[in-house]
Amino acid sequence: MKKYDENIEARVVETMALLDELQPLEVHHLFRVRLMERVEREFGEGARARRGDRLDFRLAFMALLLVVNLGSALVSVFDGNRQVTGGAVSELLDSQNDDYSSQEFAYYEQTAATTSPATETGGEEYP
Amino acid sequence: MRAREELFKGLVAEHQEMVVNTCYRFVFNREDAEDLAQDVFVEVFRSLEQFREEAKLSTWIYRIAVTKSLDHLRRLKRKKRFSSLKRIIGVSDPSEEIAAPTTDNPAEALAGSEQARILQNALNSLPDSQKTAFLLSKQEGYSNQEIADLLKTSVSAVESLVHRAKKNLHDKLYAYYSEQ
Repeated sequence: MKKYDENIEARVVETMALLDELQPLEVHHLFRVRLMERVEREFGEGARARRGDRLDFRLAFMALLLVVNLGSALVSVFDGNRQVTGGAVSELLDSQNDDYSSQEFAYYEQTAATTSPATETGGEEYP
Repeated sequence: MRAREELFKGLVAEHQEMVVNTCYRFVFNREDAEDLAQDVFVEVFRSLEQFREEAKLSTWIYRIAVTKSLDHLRRLKRKKRFSSLKRIIGVSDPSEEIAAPTTDNPAEALAGSEQARILQNALNSLPDSQKTAFLLSKQEGYSNQEIADLLKTSVSAVESLVHRAKKNLHDKLYAYYSEQ
């Protein structure tokens, strides 16, 4: 058991020693060239012009969104007005219908609606 | 713009070795280390005007290198988790099965070995502060005072972090090899 532990310990020490054995890297000779190219690409004149173009596109897109929003708002306002007008007419017609068809103004009795007293009391019906 | 570029070129010439090697300690891979170093210097160029001389310029640059390296490791961890999830549900990306290219450089071959992978996994399971203090202490050019400045802490705290990192790393590796 002791021997087995020592083996594990030896492997652990060997693995940890890798960090000490790791030799420093020599930087690739094109590292600086690539870096300066990237900096030029991201921050140079071209990049600034591209950023300007992107800004123009963004402004145009925002203006388009504004127009669409305003348009849809106007459409909904006009549509609402039309609905209000239509609604008022139908309300007027309904109220007129109510005036002449309500119970107070009825000049006949609806026979179907009336029930005989016998049925109501549950008694026999005589002919 | 010209003066800024000249200053920047000087900074790159002076610190490129240190930045690339700092990143290399974290990622164990030359290409990733150089890509990260490029990101570091691009960030330096972008924020050069915002640099307040609260710390040394070199400390500021190396702090960016450490942050970028830790971010890279976090991204790798997330990617690994996602690809194992994909394997579980049966969707695998064929590009993940392509073997990594071999190298003629012995130092890089060492870094690419199975043992290095085990070490890297154990290192990645350490808390960021322990991992950073330990890895920088192993790199030539960093004194404990510099590591303390970089981590915005004291020298004694750095010593404690390195000690705990060593112990944790040992325990993790021991547990790993015991299960084999």
